[in-house]
Amino acid sequence: MHDVALKPPVAAVHEESRTPYYFVWVALLVLTGIEVVLTYNQVFAPVRMLEVLMGLSVIKSAMIIAYFMHLKFEIASMKWVLMVSLVVCLTLMFVFFADAFRIIHLGVR
Amino acid sequence: MTQAHGPADAAPATVHGHAPTGFIRKYVFSLDHKVIGIQYYFLALTAVCIGMILSLAMRIHMVWPDASIPFFGAIKPEQYLTLMTMHGTIMVFFVLTTAPQSGFGNYFLPIQIGAPDMAFPTLNMLSFWTTFLSFAVMISAFFVAGGAPLSGWTNYPTLSAIPMAGPGEGLGEDLWLISIALFCVASMMGALNFITTTLDLRAKGMTLMRMPLTCWSWFITAILGLLAFGVLLAGGILLLMDRNLGTSFFVPGGLVVSGVPVQHSGGSPLLWQHLFWFFGHPEVYIAILPGMGVASQLLSTFSRKPIFGYRAMVYAMMAIGILGFMVWGHHMFMSGMSPYSAFAFSFMTMAIGVPSAIKTFNWLGTMWKGKIRFTVPMLFAIGFVSLFVSGGLSGPFLAQPAIDIPLHDTYFVVAHFHLIMGVAAIFGIFAATYYWFPKMYGRMMNDALGKIHFVMTFVGAYCIFMPMHYLGMAGNPRRYSQFTEVKYLAPLIPIHKFITYAAIITVSAQLLFLFNFFWSMKKGKKAAQNPWEATTLEWTTATPPPHDNFGGVTPVVYHGAYEYSVPGAEKDYIMQTDPTPVPAH
Amino acid sequence: MADVAVQHSVAGAYEPSLFGTYSKKIGMWLFLLSDSLTFGALLFAYSYGRISTPNWPTPFGKASIVNATIMTVCLLSSSLTMVLGVLASKKGDHKATVRWLLATMFFGALFVVLHAKEWNGLIHEGLRPFSNPWAKNVPQFGGTFFTLTGMHMLHVTIGVCYLGVVALRKKWLPILLGIWLLGWLLTPATNVFHLGIHVLLLVAVVSAVILVLKPKVYDAHDVEIAGLYWHFVDLVWMFIFPLVYLMSTKVV
Repeated sequence: MHDVALKPPVAAVHEESRTPYYFVWVALLVLTGIEVVLTYNQVFAPVRMLEVLMGLSVIKSAMIIAYFMHLKFEIASMKWVLMVSLVVCLTLMFVFFADAFRIIHLGVR
Repeated sequence: MTQAHGPADAAPATVHGHAPTGFIRKYVFSLDHKVIGIQYYFLALTAVCIGMILSLAMRIHMVWPDASIPFFGAIKPEQYLTLMTMHGTIMVFFVLTTAPQSGFGNYFLPIQIGAPDMAFPTLNMLSFWTTFLSFAVMISAFFVAGGAPLSGWTNYPTLSAIPMAGPGEGLGEDLWLISIALFCVASMMGALNFITTTLDLRAKGMTLMRMPLTCWSWFITAILGLLAFGVLLAGGILLLMDRNLGTSFFVPGGLVVSGVPVQHSGGSPLLWQHLFWFFGHPEVYIAILPGMGVASQLLSTFSRKPIFGYRAMVYAMMAIGILGFMVWGHHMFMSGMSPYSAFAFSFMTMAIGVPSAIKTFNWLGTMWKGKIRFTVPMLFAIGFVSLFVSGGLSGPFLAQPAIDIPLHDTYFVVAHFHLIMGVAAIFGIFAATYYWFPKMYGRMMNDALGKIHFVMTFVGAYCIFMPMHYLGMAGNPRRYSQFTEVKYLAPLIPIHKFITYAAIITVSAQLLFLFNFFWSMKKGKKAAQNPWEATTLEWTTATPPPHDNFGGVTPVVYHGAYEYSVPGAEKDYIMQTDPTPVPAH
Repeated sequence: MADVAVQHSVAGAYEPSLFGTYSKKIGMWLFLLSDSLTFGALLFAYSYGRISTPNWPTPFGKASIVNATIMTVCLLSSSLTMVLGVLASKKGDHKATVRWLLATMFFGALFVVLHAKEWNGLIHEGLRPFSNPWAKNVPQFGGTFFTLTGMHMLHVTIGVCYLGVVALRKKWLPILLGIWLLGWLLTPATNVFHLGIHVLLLVAVVSAVILVLKPKVYDAHDVEIAGLYWHFVDLVWMFIFPLVYLMSTKVV
């Protein structure tokens, strides 16, 4: 095929085994189960709960991106450029929350 | 990797290797990036004419409030706001975003990196026609019941979220939002095309650090567009929900419009401002970065000197791009935003002055002791630097909340952003037009007319916008439709009149440009293949370039883009495709 | 991303791609980057509203949480079948590819149906974009719920149709139109999906245009980038599920 030259050999070696994907799938289901059990039983206070849930969600999405979306097997520059720009942009939006809290504290409705 | 299903096609070098012959495939739904670039350019040209007429109507109304203007009649205050909104929207989205990036970028990015076309030609066509649709929807807002919206190009709620808040806030406002949503989608498609093209389709030898600075600027602009427009799209969707489904994302409780209580509560207009400016500030750089690229290219070419500090220029552009995402709050110092974040935003905004200054000094360094050829494009490039400095210097003033708070709603701000984002970017577009016209149409634009056009526009722009600084410091508020009845502003009216006269003259000078453009297309002097003796790839190919840009061959690049006046070289420029090694210097 | 200009056929005519892969995949990743910022902004808007509003309602009882969990399992499983489809297409096993893609579409469609059922239930209980029966002074609850989940549902629907085009090509069009017609006839006129189902008609028109103007057999690359889109839709749900559902679990 015409794109042989482009494909890094790593991907060619890797593409055979299905097992890792089953493991990832099971791990995702287990993490989802943990999330549901934690929230349904109200294990933590809301703020702590949010932190735990977001932590678990970040782990889940990292697994999806790395394995299902195959980013783990792309070359380093692609990984870094895509992920860093996304994370930076989303992190910047946390500035919004300073104002959301202010609305409560100032008592504006 | 093997492929069992699917045609084992021989994969030609280009998928659409031969030019289409039918009129529709050739000029309307063309896949050729050059045609699409020209389509974008003409869209922007139409838009800029409309935007300019709107601004003239505003200026005339401001100083002669009772005057009846052709097409507009006697302008009512709310009509003035409509003109202002549409002037801003059309100019920012359909001129400053469209012409330098989508227009010239489309035409010259693939040629300058040695590619036969953009990475995704169909997507390219689609993004143009989506932009066109967006423009059509925007213009249609003029003609619906209630007219165009009046909430400014920033479209702040609550004015924009409540249909009964004003005459244009009904259907007109919805059309505005739909148009902007379409524009976001179109720009996103265009941006990913630009990025992929730059990453994937550089000819052999065209390493990143050999790319002309124009390509760098289009590349970085595309990254900004990709990351910024998605956020505006989200904001637009939420605002449409607020308007049509009764949600309250942006509308706080307790509002009363014309005696009728508004059925929303609990929203926050600040949220819109955050979402909008998260897009809006990168948008400013989307408008100006391609201009910076063009200025760098032209200053080096016409000073016959290598660009001063190529790497510094690239890193400065990257720094501007990154910092551009961290400063949006400086548009919101007066909004009730948390003062702690205002402090951070102020600091980052001051920091952005550093890469801007690096660029300015490098431009001056490039010209220093050069054998400058004062051609028309060079004049506009110098004009760009001048306006960039004049407009940029008021930036650090406005970056400080303590100074911004008295100045933010005055003509000082109008002067600042018009000089740097409006006129400077437009000068970039003019420079690019005069520079690349010979490549696009095979003829030179008239030199004398061009010089007259430059002088009138340059002097005119300063006459219009410099006095506005004083108006602003004297406390003249912006967005007001007339001042003639206001006592404390009465002494300022002569300045306003002067600005209006200057505006009329400057706008008429643009007729010269239009005439020159269309006349030269047919009757201009025939251009040589490389009339400016420049080094980049577009000047190595025929004029106008063939369908696949290089007539079936892929160029090979041996040098950076700025090998001018190399000691020991035969000529004072070395083409990028020239295989002879550069003498050590 | 219907076609690409250059296939890098002549080895060495171009600089190696900076991301070391083919253009379409880069294009899809860049699109997803932009789209994730759209979703990111929507989620931030939701969080903003939630932070600034006291007494946010927490209405989701056992039935809702079980339903949403099943939906999550559907999406996660669809991601697995998708990835297996991509593997099969890389091996050149066309039949297996189509089978896995159909399985993915099944899970995706199941997700949409379950979700639609849940919407209907909530609307029946009185949830509206501008009000909710649980907390009168928090009108944002309905708005954020419908915006976020609606936007996601739209993405899943488009994803199912996208996979349908890749897997079945022209055979997919009559199926899609059939689903549209059935959905339109079977939903009562007052139901939100009576109107919403027309998205399928729109998608069918777009798919028809693509299939007619660019008829081609979709290769492993096309399957892979369709997969990227699909996993992304799954990924977004990994944030919507905890934020919108789990954080609003009924306090017992």
